[in-house]
Amino acid sequence: MFHSETGVFKTSYAADMALYPLPVARYAVIALAIVFLFIVPLVFSPYLMTLMNLVLIAVVGAIGLDILVGYTGQISIGHGAFMSVGAYTAANLIVRTGLPFWLAIPAGGAMAALIGIVIGIPSLRIKGIYLAVATLAAQFVIEWMINHITWISGGIEASIQVPPPSIFGFKLVTAYRLYFFLLFFAALAIVATLNWMRSRIGRAFIAIRDQDIAAEIIGINIFKYKLYAFAISSFYAGVTGVLYTYYYGIANYEQFGIDVSINYLAMILIGGLGSILGAIFGATFITILPEAARQFLTHYGGMIMSQDAVTNVVPNLQLVLFGGLIIFFLVAEPEGLNRLWRSIRNYFRVWPFSY
Amino acid sequence: MRERPATYIALSLGLLLGLAVAAPAQAADKGTIIIGMQCDRTGPTQVVGTALCPGTHDYIDLINSRGGIDGWKLDVPEVDNQYQVPPSIAEYEQAKQQGAVGVMIYGTPITAALNSRLEQDHIPGTSPGFGIAASADGKYYPYLFPIAANYWSQAAAAVQFAKQQLGGSLKGKKIAYIFYDNPAGHEPLPILDELSKTEGFQLQNFAVPPPGVDVSSQVLAIAQQYRPDFVIDHTFGKSPALIIKGLQQNGYPLNKVVAMVWASGEADILGAGGWNVAQGYYTMQFAGAGQDYPVIKQIKAMYKKEGKSPPDALNSTVYYNRGVFQGAVWVAAIRNALKLSHGKKPTPTDVAKGFEMIKDFKLGGMVPPITISAADHEGGGWVRIFQVKGDGFVAKTPWFRGFRKVVVDLEAKTAQQMASKAN
Amino acid sequence: MLDLPWRFVAILFANGVLVGSMYALIALGFVLIYKATDAINFAQGEFVMFAGFLAAGATHEAGFPWWISALLSVAGMIVFAFGLERIVLRPLIGRPVLAVIMATLGLGFVLRGVATMAFGGGTQTIPLPVSNAPVFIGPLILPPIELVGAGVSLAFLGVFGWFFLKSRVGVAMRAVADSQQVAMAMGINVRRYFALAWAMAGVVSALGGVLWGGMLGVDNQLALVGLKVFPVMILGGLDSIVGAVVGGIIVGVVESLSAGFLDPLVGGGTKDFVPYLLMIAVLMVRPEGIFGRRRIERI
Repeated sequence: MFHSETGVFKTSYAADMALYPLPVARYAVIALAIVFLFIVPLVFSPYLMTLMNLVLIAVVGAIGLDILVGYTGQISIGHGAFMSVGAYTAANLIVRTGLPFWLAIPAGGAMAALIGIVIGIPSLRIKGIYLAVATLAAQFVIEWMINHITWISGGIEASIQVPPPSIFGFKLVTAYRLYFFLLFFAALAIVATLNWMRSRIGRAFIAIRDQDIAAEIIGINIFKYKLYAFAISSFYAGVTGVLYTYYYGIANYEQFGIDVSINYLAMILIGGLGSILGAIFGATFITILPEAARQFLTHYGGMIMSQDAVTNVVPNLQLVLFGGLIIFFLVAEPEGLNRLWRSIRNYFRVWPFSY
Repeated sequence: MRERPATYIALSLGLLLGLAVAAPAQAADKGTIIIGMQCDRTGPTQVVGTALCPGTHDYIDLINSRGGIDGWKLDVPEVDNQYQVPPSIAEYEQAKQQGAVGVMIYGTPITAALNSRLEQDHIPGTSPGFGIAASADGKYYPYLFPIAANYWSQAAAAVQFAKQQLGGSLKGKKIAYIFYDNPAGHEPLPILDELSKTEGFQLQNFAVPPPGVDVSSQVLAIAQQYRPDFVIDHTFGKSPALIIKGLQQNGYPLNKVVAMVWASGEADILGAGGWNVAQGYYTMQFAGAGQDYPVIKQIKAMYKKEGKSPPDALNSTVYYNRGVFQGAVWVAAIRNALKLSHGKKPTPTDVAKGFEMIKDFKLGGMVPPITISAADHEGGGWVRIFQVKGDGFVAKTPWFRGFRKVVVDLEAKTAQQMASKAN
Repeated sequence: MLDLPWRFVAILFANGVLVGSMYALIALGFVLIYKATDAINFAQGEFVMFAGFLAAGATHEAGFPWWISALLSVAGMIVFAFGLERIVLRPLIGRPVLAVIMATLGLGFVLRGVATMAFGGGTQTIPLPVSNAPVFIGPLILPPIELVGAGVSLAFLGVFGWFFLKSRVGVAMRAVADSQQVAMAMGINVRRYFALAWAMAGVVSALGGVLWGGMLGVDNQLALVGLKVFPVMILGGLDSIVGAVVGGIIVGVVESLSAGFLDPLVGGGTKDFVPYLLMIAVLMVRPEGIFGRRRIERI
């Protein structure tokens, strides 16, 4: 949003904390809404739409993880497991009771939040690497339970097919229809988090992240707020799981493995920790990266090596690129894509009279 | 403001990414038929994928080098799904957009996830030797083609073979079923339970948790504690090799072990430490092992003509031959589809019909006589047992089927249940 | 008396102890790094895999006998670890835990991709001079490779334990781990010891790669051994070599017994998470593990 704050004076705290810090932001939001509501679906091909949908789902999950990791400073390598909790809760409810999506989605989220609170309890005693490994335990236990308890998994195949979501009998089946469905939830997640993070809860989270003992001394009940953070983050994860389920038409625990948890960590890290915009950037980047690398190599890779070599190399190169970029960002640009964005914005803010 | 070189590098990287995604999906040339293909070369089943997928490519190349099918060239763009669902969906959508007439699926969870999409888009997909067992019933799974013995047929055949090896009766015998603990590994459980009741044997299950790099305690429990009369091994990826080695180290005779199709490759034997370690081990095949088949010779000749040496994968005959088989069935289906479309570019539905017209397909003796019909998408469910002897596989049985009636009944019953649940 | 199949229990127990000792070797890699640099290396499993590939590659491509391959692997890992420390990890000194975790996770991806590109996707073997025939000790039947592996692991754990307790370099490394600033003030070249710690972790990984690679075969799935070792080192305490040994043996035995007795009851797969549950239970009582040192936090 290229804008200038010249001439805008804030005379109250309320104004300083407003969702739209500048009048121009309002127009920017309207412009974004037009782009995402009209231009994107008109311009994008079905394949790009598929990617776009995956990005939107990832945005919800990444924001959720960012609340826990970026804002509250806790580490979780179990985000994927919370997604599967949401996914299976919703899938069971949908198939057994015919719940509509607007109930199934919060139900999945709520169940994930409950489990998240349980997993979060050790965070009171342990932190850092110990906590990270404890959440890894959650990942394994939850995966195992879903795989082995047929009452949850819906049979030995451990996958439950769900009908597409429908609004007043209108079935959301194609990528284009699902796009609007997913866009709604992504937007909801963004706005809700923006508001949450400038409220009392959000400030408590940040205080805990910066120094939890100090936060406790100034009167923040860190046990309560750490559990809040786990609950809220898991709620988002659960919703993400339900969205994935609707999107794929199937709930399957194998799609929420530890690599998913790692992917989401990579998203918020590459995007920039503790920033919603960062989470959005990261989610977009990590979702598109492997596809882009594949496209790029299959189209242009033939120039430097044989086609057979390309088929063999592409999947491995995706891994190398993914890992390499994580390292690159950590070493060279710790604040992630968000920082890049701010650099660009700052450059244009004073453009053409930069100093 | 503070500038960093990282900013520029990252910016140009972003630009490159944008370029790559925006790169136009290659429009199909006139005269080219596209089949989407998925493979796993980096995930848990890479042992299989790195040998199977080259087989398919080589067969397609062979057909193309002879001028294609009635003048139509085939293009089979491969993508790696790492045995995971999310990438496979994006890849499927891309194949669809490129105008693919079908998809070669890779992986049981992926088959389960793609099934509803195939049905909705009317695009045929194949899952040779894996996937949903009930999908053999073409009535309820119109666009999914297992094209080879599914897990139920394999499990039934394994029991049949054990019965024959144990002197014709399984009454009071103990059979251990060791399996990869995921949907693919669970798939044969219903048929094994059913057979244990009718045949009167005692069944004990041993699960190997994914990714299957640790089988020591399961092997100990089988060899030291349970001591079954026969072992059915339904693992894949790294586990089969470890199970062979572990059983051998614990003194359990390998000629009391029959592996299902994905534990039956050269890679599994070599991973266990070589042929001498695995002597006596029984493997199950839905395409013949070895190189003594006309089609393999033709592929070798093709490489020779191009002045290239054939790939290493070719020596991993079991999985490679299955890849060739997969390619060959598709070619047969498309050949049939071209008849339906009178030489015009066939639609995916034509290709699905083309599959159902495949009759007595033998591929020069490499595969059992496969006949696919609208009712039977499995092609008969034939398998053959090969034993490890000396430095290779030796055929132990002819192509056979075990407890066919039990399998077909269960398939029909389950398919019907699934269909009624979905509506 | 409980009606347990005692011979089976004994076999499971012995097996658990042996495998656990081999876990301890990999856990030692984590502990070395953590002790000296306060960082955690999530790519330890990939280190082991990469070392295994080096050894297998030297045997199959160049035709060296196994012991030269093993030495080459050790040398290769030392060089690799030095380079890694310089390029990736040094810039991350003083950054939050998550940064180091993610950097090493990223490194793991890179290593997996590079190894498969360089060495191919198939499983390779390291032909160790250990027979396949089972060894009978009393009522027990044990695979010889596990006996050898456990022996080598325990020997090295002993050597490293002595090194940290008694040798000058070891004491200096402990000082660095304790407080980098104070160590610097005492004239210790902190960077050099960081590099040294990584190199030592490289050596341990190379040993792990040869032993585990010899047992499981080398392919990119070998890296998953790393995941099994998290409960080991957390349970024992991140900065304790004794903890690594004790943790390794506890985890090995618990895994073995749960797979032998719990699996048939609940349908399998318990050994993957039971150690983690045990670990959480211990952490709730002793947040720094059994032998870990308690850290006092100051504001």
